Amino acid sequence: MNFDMELFLQAMIHRSPGYIPEHLQLSLIPLFLAVSIALPAAVLVTRPGYRQYAAHVMAFFNAGQTIPPLAVIAVFFPFLGLGYGPALFALTIYALLPIARSSIAAISTVPEDVRDAALGMGMTPVDVLLRVELPLSLPTIMAGVKTAAVLTVSTAVLAALVGGKGMGAIIFAGINFFRPELVLAGTIYIGLLSIILERLLSVVEWFLTPPHMKAARSR
Amino acid sequence: MIQLEHISKRFSGVARPAVDQLSLTVEKGKISVFVGPSGCGKTTILRMINRLVEPDEGTIFIDGKNILQMNPPLLRRTIGYVIQQVGLLPHRTIGQNISLVPELLGWPREKTARKVRELLEMTGLPPEEFESKYPYQLSGGQAQRVGVARALAADPPIMLMDEPFAAVDPIIRMHLQDEFLRVQQHIRKTICFVTHDISEAIKIGDHLVILNEGRLVQSGTPIEILTHPSNDFVSSLIGDDRGSKILDLIRCEGLMDPQAPLVDFPKDNGSRVQAVWPVKAALERMMKNNTDEVMVCREDQPAGILSWNGIKAHINRISGEKQ
Ligand SMILES: Nc1ncnc2c1ncn2[C@@H]1O[C@H](COP(=O)(O)OP(=O)(O)OP(=O)(O)O)[C@@H](O)[C@H]1O
Ligand SMILES: [Mg+2]
Repeated sequence: MNFDMELFLQAMIHRSPGYIPEHLQLSLIPLFLAVSIALPAAVLVTRPGYRQYAAHVMAFFNAGQTIPPLAVIAVFFPFLGLGYGPALFALTIYALLPIARSSIAAISTVPEDVRDAALGMGMTPVDVLLRVELPLSLPTIMAGVKTAAVLTVSTAVLAALVGGKGMGAIIFAGINFFRPELVLAGTIYIGLLSIILERLLSVVEWFLTPPHMKAARSR
Repeated sequence: MIQLEHISKRFSGVARPAVDQLSLTVEKGKISVFVGPSGCGKTTILRMINRLVEPDEGTIFIDGKNILQMNPPLLRRTIGYVIQQVGLLPHRTIGQNISLVPELLGWPREKTARKVRELLEMTGLPPEEFESKYPYQLSGGQAQRVGVARALAADPPIMLMDEPFAAVDPIIRMHLQDEFLRVQQHIRKTICFVTHDISEAIKIGDHLVILNEGRLVQSGTPIEILTHPSNDFVSSLIGDDRGSKILDLIRCEGLMDPQAPLVDFPKDNGSRVQAVWPVKAALERMMKNNTDEVMVCREDQPAGILSWNGIKAHINRISGEKQ
């Protein structure tokens, strides 16, 4: 089997870019949903009185990640069927763990004396959460979001298998028709998307990082 | 006025109660100092007053009102709290840390800014240099002073101060104690001050509360406790230099003989002391000049004679009372 440069370039320039918007949707929507589930859950289990549930929540999210996304789809197939929706669902489940893990770790490592001082000065628990715990946790939470983002962009390839389209369509077409040119083109785009998304999120992270942590990093 | 009535607190998983049937009163406008060894419950007592810890038994009243009937965040905004571990918010500047409570109370911006600068000056941290620094840029002692400034910011009538000067060096500590006492002369706050340094307690306190293993061992004015320690625990806490601590606490005017003839006394400054000086300072003067009498003056006017015999008689008297 020889490498057809023309087919490769054609795949790179004409066929793959069309899948980018779809693939971004398949990555960003689950990412967004995962953040909206994992972050509140992390906040909830780090409240005093609920800490004993943290282990259970982590176990649940851990399970979410050990099940391969395809298996998630298989399990929910009788209820959700195949296609775009189930793919989003499986990817969301998959992205939950890194975000939940980093969020719970971040919020529970806010120093006790800082939390204590904030309460002692007369902040309400909501003040403490919004003005102390979350600002101090954001860099670590963002690290989890970045991990989840990279993970989701590459896992979203599998969506093509259940009719969810995305960049996976071209990669699996390449596999089915023994055309490595297509597989390579699709993979390059997946890599590029991961890198760009990761860089963008790093910029967001930089803006959300409190000054003292920036200083600690550049030291 | 703060009243604690039969307060007990036991933390789960700890056999011995942290605070055990404690009753005491902290007078309005006075400095009450809680002294005792590590783990005797000092911090726990302070934290029950601002409801960061709730007692298992007993009631706490502030100005006659049961604190359980107050909303904890609102209660805490009226009580300045200097935390033992300092606990500055690391993501806020020193200025923003100090303005925390005024901000919660909704003070106008300029008023808060003025107060921040005033407090930084008072704690010996030049505002131009420190206001926009972050806590990680401070030394332990500087951070502790910011902790004191933050607690004072909203001018609360009550202050809970948990070893506020522990991390500063002895010279700055002495300066801060003096400044603290000077300011207290004007602001007359009700202060609960925790320390395990008995000398600091004696210097600062209007009233001492001696604690051991969560229980009150003895309470009273510093001179009462120095002259009548109620048991061996208190005696050993005070230490062997009890006599010298007493002499540090009594003023020259308290032991001088106002009737003594003053005429043929040398006029040089070396043998004069001020009425408000501690007797210990007079003793040092005597030793330096190799005399056993000094003249005590009030505003340059001779007021009496303080003699070594007079001091000795006093020491014998209080030692006699002890037995
Ligand atoms: N949150 C807590 N959980 C369990 N035990 C606690 C807690 N806080 C305090 N204790 C225990 O209660 C006792 C009194 O503690 P506290 O902090 O009041 O002592 P302290 O007099 O302030 O000591 P130090 O001088 O070392 O600061 C100690 O035995 C301590 O271990
Ligand atoms: Mg303590």
